[in-house]
Amino acid sequence: MMLSEDIELLDGLPVAFIKSLNAIVVADMHLGYEGMMAKKGVLIPKVNFKKMTETMTAAIEKTHAKKLIVNGDIKNEFSKVDEEEFNELYDFIMFVRNAGIEPILIKGNHDNFVERYREPFKLLVYRQQAVIGKYLFFHGEELPLMDKSTKGVKAMFMGHEHPAIGVIDAIGKHERLRCFLYGKYGRIPLIVIPALNFFAGGTEVNMVPKSELLAPMFKKNDIDKMHAIAVGYGSTIDFGTVKELRKLNL
Amino acid sequence: MITYMGKGFSDKESLGVLNKDVKEWFTKNFKELTIPQSFTFKLVSEHKNILVAAPTGSGKTMSGFVAILSDLFNKASRGELKEEVYCIYISPLRALNNDIYKNLNKPLEEIYQLSSKNEKSSHVTIAVRTGDTPQKDRQRQLTHPPNILVTTPESLAILITSEKFSENLKKVEYVVIDEIHELANNKRGVHLALSLERLRSMIGHDFTRVGLGATLYPLEEAAKYLVGCDEKGSPKDCIVVDASWSKKLEVQAISPVKDMIYTPDEEIEEKTYDIINGIIKKSKSTLIFTNTRSGTERVVFNLKKKFGYNEEIAAHHGSLSRESRLEVEELLKSGSLKCAVSSTSLELGMDIGSIDNVIQLGSPKSVTRAVQRIGRAGHKYKSVAKGEIIVLNRDDLVECSIMLDAALKRHLDSFRVPMNALDILAQHIVGMSIMKKWDVKDAYGVIKSAYPYSSLKYEDFIDTVRYLAGEYVGLESRRVYGKIWYDEKEHTFGRRGKMIRPIYMLNLGAIPDEVSVNVFDSKTKRWIGNIEEEFLTRMKQGDIFTLGGRLYRFEYAKGMRCYVTPATSSAPTIPPWFSEQLPLSYELAIEIGKFRASMSVAMAKHLKKGTLNLKSKVPKDMESMLSALPMDGNAAKAIYGYFVEQQLFAGAVPNDRLILIEITADPKSGQNLAIFHSLYGRRINDTLSRVIAIHIGRKLGTDVGIMINDNGFLINTESRLKPSDIEDAISAMVLHDPEPLLRANIRKTEIMKRRFRHVAARSFMILRNYKGYKLPVGRQQVNATLLIKAVESIDKNFPVLKETYREIFEEVMDLPRTKALLQSIKSGETKYKVIKTQIPSPFAHSMITFGHADVVLMKERHEYLKYLHKMVIKRINTTKR
Repeated sequence: MMLSEDIELLDGLPVAFIKSLNAIVVADMHLGYEGMMAKKGVLIPKVNFKKMTETMTAAIEKTHAKKLIVNGDIKNEFSKVDEEEFNELYDFIMFVRNAGIEPILIKGNHDNFVERYREPFKLLVYRQQAVIGKYLFFHGEELPLMDKSTKGVKAMFMGHEHPAIGVIDAIGKHERLRCFLYGKYGRIPLIVIPALNFFAGGTEVNMVPKSELLAPMFKKNDIDKMHAIAVGYGSTIDFGTVKELRKLNL
Repeated sequence: MITYMGKGFSDKESLGVLNKDVKEWFTKNFKELTIPQSFTFKLVSEHKNILVAAPTGSGKTMSGFVAILSDLFNKASRGELKEEVYCIYISPLRALNNDIYKNLNKPLEEIYQLSSKNEKSSHVTIAVRTGDTPQKDRQRQLTHPPNILVTTPESLAILITSEKFSENLKKVEYVVIDEIHELANNKRGVHLALSLERLRSMIGHDFTRVGLGATLYPLEEAAKYLVGCDEKGSPKDCIVVDASWSKKLEVQAISPVKDMIYTPDEEIEEKTYDIINGIIKKSKSTLIFTNTRSGTERVVFNLKKKFGYNEEIAAHHGSLSRESRLEVEELLKSGSLKCAVSSTSLELGMDIGSIDNVIQLGSPKSVTRAVQRIGRAGHKYKSVAKGEIIVLNRDDLVECSIMLDAALKRHLDSFRVPMNALDILAQHIVGMSIMKKWDVKDAYGVIKSAYPYSSLKYEDFIDTVRYLAGEYVGLESRRVYGKIWYDEKEHTFGRRGKMIRPIYMLNLGAIPDEVSVNVFDSKTKRWIGNIEEEFLTRMKQGDIFTLGGRLYRFEYAKGMRCYVTPATSSAPTIPPWFSEQLPLSYELAIEIGKFRASMSVAMAKHLKKGTLNLKSKVPKDMESMLSALPMDGNAAKAIYGYFVEQQLFAGAVPNDRLILIEITADPKSGQNLAIFHSLYGRRINDTLSRVIAIHIGRKLGTDVGIMINDNGFLINTESRLKPSDIEDAISAMVLHDPEPLLRANIRKTEIMKRRFRHVAARSFMILRNYKGYKLPVGRQQVNATLLIKAVESIDKNFPVLKETYREIFEEVMDLPRTKALLQSIKSGETKYKVIKTQIPSPFAHSMITFGHADVVLMKERHEYLKYLHKMVIKRINTTKR
């Protein structure tokens, strides 16, 4: 699905593609998720890394992109990089190298220690936000800083919220679909990227009240006006505004 | 081999086998032996395995113990009694354990006094070991083990895995399992069965097994559960004694008013309480069973308000504190309580002294339960158990009359032992590996000797071993994920690391963490109350339910919090008692179906003669048929009228071999309905309704809604169904295996998530207690859908997943019987008939009004019932002219 001439949401993938940058954009990978859960006694199979690389590989094959922008929360643990996480971080770096793609990392609230690996692995890491080409990328746990540098940006990309929509069918089956959110912040188009992490089911933005949302963005900006573009079952479809979707389950 | 024994031994013979001091003590304290005792004294003393089914108050527990005490005092008199455990007594209830301890301590002391003339004699010791036992007592039990150890299934599992304590169990000769009916039908019992076989294998010899239970059927199944299987896989020897009928039943279904439809609610309520009060007044003590906790509270409240009762009436149910329940039990025992009202909590267990009369409000939904509840009445084991069921509507009336008739004929519903539960198996494999290194074949042999695993496939066993060895993650992570190591070449397994013992001890058991969900106002965030998790899993946005007497609309749930807004005027879409409501049993449903069939045959004759109408009296032949049922005068006429209405209106009465399918609409909401009168019990309806909904949905290409009920189920669709839609769906349904369809259907439901969490916790995939970190239930539930997806991507037959489906298909639903029913439809043995009606037929009314209100407070529901009935009668009268 094309959002503009330059921005495409890849069919069935929680990934955006920006033609002018020749880059794919993802958010919230949370590497090392299972390892962190295992420490708490939840011994779930390790599938996150595998599933994410499958998704990214599909996106790269489709677009021939040369860059990968990770819009925050590349890894899971808040404070330190632990062994399990490090293993996956290392695997991730090997993955992008083999794919011949340049990773660009925007730091999220879970990424305090990523910088330690900036040097040895020659990673491009931005703090909080970055303007790349005509676009502003920020993770979303804080509002973007709008200043000289952001003047004239054509659109902005955010992560952090893990948006999804909830649909319940007549037999009581509850379906949760990841979604992009597409709307405006002021006059600038805003695109919220769903989580790439396999285990992040997402916040059902049409089910929870606005006060339950994570990102400060939605304190200032009405989520109801945004379109939810759902991803799943091999396609990407605009489901209409969040406001309309709230009525879906009445 | 399992053998039944009908006649006991004479008192002389029985007493003759006892140690002289035990015998002296017994004859001093008891005039004669009870029926169970006339079997057990001799058989237990001969070390025979024995299962005794007998009502409470029949000296059942003593019957199990006397011969054992006799043996222990014999040992003492020879100076052979050591500080070792000789007898393990296991009951599922901690409270019962304390009771047993109290009840045995005194006899032990008295017998010791008698025996102390013999200088060699010594005390026979007893101690309780449960999760409540203080550390210092545990320590003492380790160094000075009691001769009789009273414990629970969970504590036993811990003891046999304790390096030090297991040394004290080497001499065990007897194992007594009390309240076996509370264990044989669930995973706690499965857990215990494996513990016993592990104990047997560990100490290198078998023990005499004594099983004690209330009414349950089939006893043979319970006996197999008790004794397990030999190397060849056949059940070991066990003698079954069925003394459950030593109490005579005197029972009746009572219809509080003549006309259950047009009598105003106030009058019905008034009459009901008058009847209850009349019984309370003329009895010394009365026990009332309601089917729900809220009903219990309401009955107590109303009795006090209407008749000025005070302290002499009390409630007893699971939501009350342990202390207040114990207090009520004590008051009952001492005879100072005139009446106790209970939901299920007083059904079984503790001896509550003598009760004159049991009143059951509304159908208890199963013959066995009716017998167990009414069996609470009667002073001594030989007396008569008197009970009344006061029915609430016409379906109830039919159901309860047939139920009591079946009870008098001793046709009980059957229970099933859960077979091959892989989660409990996983726990025990870990437990076994902690104690030693195992050869795979040996371990498989020990496991298969437990009856619940007698048909366990070797592949399933090995899959579970592999899962526990962490083979579902890469080598480098097995340190964290693996609980055991498995050497495929050497065919051996053993424990991995030292941490696994504490993990095992802290996480074992079959009872899942259940939580109540906090309910908040979604706007004000004010806390409103609690609901059960099970209840939450049934809700979707927009559902209306009652909480604390007010109506709320469900908005959304987040973890273990549920957000609602106050609702006005609408009727609840989910009855408040839904999660508490007891499901109608299969056997009882079939009995009712057979009764319906015989009523149809009787009516057909009168229909032919043209004499079947609502005005005339009940014809003689049918009168005699109905009066044979245990019910009062009001009831026979009401049942007759009900059936005639159905016949005249719909032209057919559904029965056990005829499923009536009615295409109609709800006159109030206009909703299009297909009503399936399939009377096979709730669990089959739960299964069947989903399967048929899938086929209808496929045919129409839309979603269809279902509402399950005991007497059938409703399917609602956007457009009106054609008979051919249903016929096509049924033809497709009987041709295909329902299992894959159901799997796909339930994969994303709340019940799947919840059961998966339980199974994952029991299988040690989600550790509730880990490194001093207690995982809150909310976190256990997090992303269950994705956990399931992750596990599926590993292997569709992953043991945790496989067990979740098994549990849902065999314990929540009833897939095996549903499959049999489909076969029977396919062969034409069970027929179906599709009809169209303008308004729902009388037999459908209770299904239509199901969601409209709660059982005791049934005003709204009743109004609607009246409305439906009026329309039916109008139709019958107009079509006649």
